[in-house]
Amino acid sequence: MVDQRDEFISEAQEIIEGLARDLLALDASVKRKEGADHELINDTFRAVHTLKGLSSLFGVARMSTLSHHLEDLLDEMRLGRVELTPKVLDVLFRAVDVYGQILAALRAGEPEPARSVDELLAELDSSVSRPQGGSANPLAEYDLDPGLLAVLTEYEEHRLRTNLQQGVGLFVIRVRFDLATIDGALDNLKSRAKPHGEILTYLPSGEGGDAESIDLDVLLASRQSLDVLRTELAGPNVQIEAVARRMQHRAVSEPPVTTFGGEAPRITTPPAAPEDTSLFAPRTQSGKEGFSGTTPRQAVSAVMMEEEPPPLVDVPRPGLSIRGVAQTVRVDIRKLDHLMNIVAELAIVRSALSRITDRVRGAPELRELGIELHRLHRGLDRHLGDLQSGILEVRMVPLGQVFDKLARVVRQISREHDKEVNLVITGAETEVDKLIVEELSDPLMHMIRNAIDHGIESRRQRDDRGKPETGTIALNAYQKGNHVVLEVQDDGAGIDEDKVLATAIRRGLVTESETAAMLQRDVLGFIFMPGFTTKDGVDELSGRGVGMDVVKTNISKLGGVIDVHSELGIGTKMTVTLPITLAIISALVVVIAGRRYALPLASVLEALVFDPATVRTIEQREVMTLRGATLALCRLDAFFGLPRPASANSSIRRFVVVVGVGNHRLGCVVDQLIGQQDIVIKPLGKSLDGVRGFAGATELGDQHVGLVIDAPAIVEEILAAGDASRLLGARRPTGATGGEA
Amino acid sequence: MSRRSSTREASEARRAALARRAVERGARAEYLAFRMAEEIYAVPIAYVKEILKLPPLTEVPRAPFDVIGVISVRGRIVTVRDLRRRLRLPEAPPTRRSRILLAELTPEQGGTGERVGLFVDEVLHVYRFADAEIESAATVLGSELAEYVTGIGRQQGEMILLVDLRPILGGAKTQTPAQRPVLGGRPGA
Repeated sequence: MVDQRDEFISEAQEIIEGLARDLLALDASVKRKEGADHELINDTFRAVHTLKGLSSLFGVARMSTLSHHLEDLLDEMRLGRVELTPKVLDVLFRAVDVYGQILAALRAGEPEPARSVDELLAELDSSVSRPQGGSANPLAEYDLDPGLLAVLTEYEEHRLRTNLQQGVGLFVIRVRFDLATIDGALDNLKSRAKPHGEILTYLPSGEGGDAESIDLDVLLASRQSLDVLRTELAGPNVQIEAVARRMQHRAVSEPPVTTFGGEAPRITTPPAAPEDTSLFAPRTQSGKEGFSGTTPRQAVSAVMMEEEPPPLVDVPRPGLSIRGVAQTVRVDIRKLDHLMNIVAELAIVRSALSRITDRVRGAPELRELGIELHRLHRGLDRHLGDLQSGILEVRMVPLGQVFDKLARVVRQISREHDKEVNLVITGAETEVDKLIVEELSDPLMHMIRNAIDHGIESRRQRDDRGKPETGTIALNAYQKGNHVVLEVQDDGAGIDEDKVLATAIRRGLVTESETAAMLQRDVLGFIFMPGFTTKDGVDELSGRGVGMDVVKTNISKLGGVIDVHSELGIGTKMTVTLPITLAIISALVVVIAGRRYALPLASVLEALVFDPATVRTIEQREVMTLRGATLALCRLDAFFGLPRPASANSSIRRFVVVVGVGNHRLGCVVDQLIGQQDIVIKPLGKSLDGVRGFAGATELGDQHVGLVIDAPAIVEEILAAGDASRLLGARRPTGATGGEA
Repeated sequence: MSRRSSTREASEARRAALARRAVERGARAEYLAFRMAEEIYAVPIAYVKEILKLPPLTEVPRAPFDVIGVISVRGRIVTVRDLRRRLRLPEAPPTRRSRILLAELTPEQGGTGERVGLFVDEVLHVYRFADAEIESAATVLGSELAEYVTGIGRQQGEMILLVDLRPILGGAKTQTPAQRPVLGGRPGA
């Protein structure tokens, strides 16, 4: 029962996400004044229709009611009886949010949020506007075959009319299908024709055909030329003719094609000219059910269109690639964790096998067996590696999942603030671990809110500064080695360092004399302090001073770092660097006081031999000089309170592992470097939540558990323990690489 | 055929007798008994999920005072607590009889749902006590132990201290800072 509910929730979630993507695409096309893409409207209609069915099946009453009303609205919209206005889109986007609320409530085992559904339903009715001045039935003005009109569904008729009004060419494709294979063959033809235009309907031609075959007339609206269609859709039993226009004396003006913002081409259609539209020749007999009879279609195809419209460039719609995926399986991530654990177990078996293999090979009388065993062991090793990377791959999902959500946020916030904002996304296909993606959406949302609220100026300010009225927020993602980099960049006002400093001084975070030598990076670092805000007013969205510190905390929880770069008047760029996966990381295994620990390589900068002679003590803190810069030291054995084995003496060579976290560095003194190893980090139990300094534990072989050192936590703790940063000249204005402890 | 039915009759009769006795004395519960520092303790067996031989233990610096380390149980990291430290018992080094009890209390049972290892010197056997057979501990023990011991059961001349796992596996932090030895040294000291 619970499983079924989960299944329902995740399926509904998927549909709602798809719905949101389609709405965004619709929003974009409405903004471009292109007119709504009828196929997108159709998709949203289908999504809501499916939701209606699902929710009533699972007894989710309000969701079903809401879907029912939305379905009605979208149905009217696709029939052209309701206009797609920004207001209607607002309501539809709200519906996506309400759907989300309903699902969240279901997940938490709470009743559906009745009020928000009711409010939305009330709004649905008030926001609808119907097109003005529908002068009777425009189709009646055309000399179309009444027989044809009679068999068209209302929707088909609407599409036909719309296409004719837009001056799109009409073509008839006559195809002979084998009755045995007609389903597949028809689908094939449909998918081939789809890129070139819209299939309005298909009807039996009433001619040809025999016991094994049937001739269908496919009515296609397309801006392609006849020649192009003939080449593209060529086949053994395919004939394509253009449907002629009645008037030949009037030239149709060539629709100009303009490009907008370097992306989607905008198509300007010629104004509808009623006397200029094509017509169908009278059709004596027609009907979907009639397989016999003749249709004098020749008269129609005899006259060619005098001017061909230019080919329509196929516009890839955002989200299309994600949508088309049919062969997918939904998997609970815990199941993948479980598989990962099994792989780890197998790795332990493998190392035991390796030891046995070595022993067998050492025995001369078992030489052949040993060789065989060795070969098997190598095979196991390889497949195990493949298995591990295979499971990791399954965990990876494209960042586009989060980005779609953010696009909705941008739309909503920019409308609330009455700022025009254009979100430009690159790298949505970049993949990261599913768990990371889930944890990312909140921090990114905060960052985007900040960018719109604090970054992008009001229209008038932008105008005064000579910037385009529409602000731009760029969301870029790309892979960099074992990391994923995310950038949120706005072309807004930038962060006023003086204002930040003034606030910092007022709040006693820094003294005035100290500020003189601060780097930009250090100054901007203040915005990550809890409760820090330079904005005077508090509004609903941001500016309450919560946000950036939460962002930083969430990002560091994922093992990531965040950097800010800002130029006054030009804009702000926040860069988040994250590990690709939380499941497996590379680590440096070190020995401290006879115990093995793993240090994630992500925070290791270098390792060098420790020379006690270079150590100086400043205010009871040990530091050393590394390439001319001061490096704070931390003897990890003392830091962890580990007793040193009695045998240890100072003459043994030790090492310094330099770790870097953000712009801070720390030298960790360890006894031994064992080497690099890929490890699976596992969480320590809840009872060790309060223990700082460890990111988790990992199996280092032989059932032995090694703790994974949390370098950022240690650096932070040491910095917090004293004003080491000031002491060690971290804020040297030169900004040299070293010296920032 | 007849034998089977007679067995069933017998078992039904026994069950009825047990039920009668249960009514007389109150419900019986099963406790797993173990030895620590020459004394016998027991916990409700329902909370014990597994008994393990001592795997390699990794100590955790700066952990709460009764945490002796972490172990890996089939790929999962489990925290091991030493009950002797909670009960202020003398500690002896592990022997081949030392065991780890994997115990778990759901939030409804007053725990956190986390599976925790409990180090004991030796696992004995299962005792059954009815509520009526359990003496209150408060009258016998000092207040320190009373926090962890719910009662005392007697059987075959043995005195068995029944340990309350809730303060040990529960979410609330029971140890005060003063009880906790300083493990974390200051850096650079």
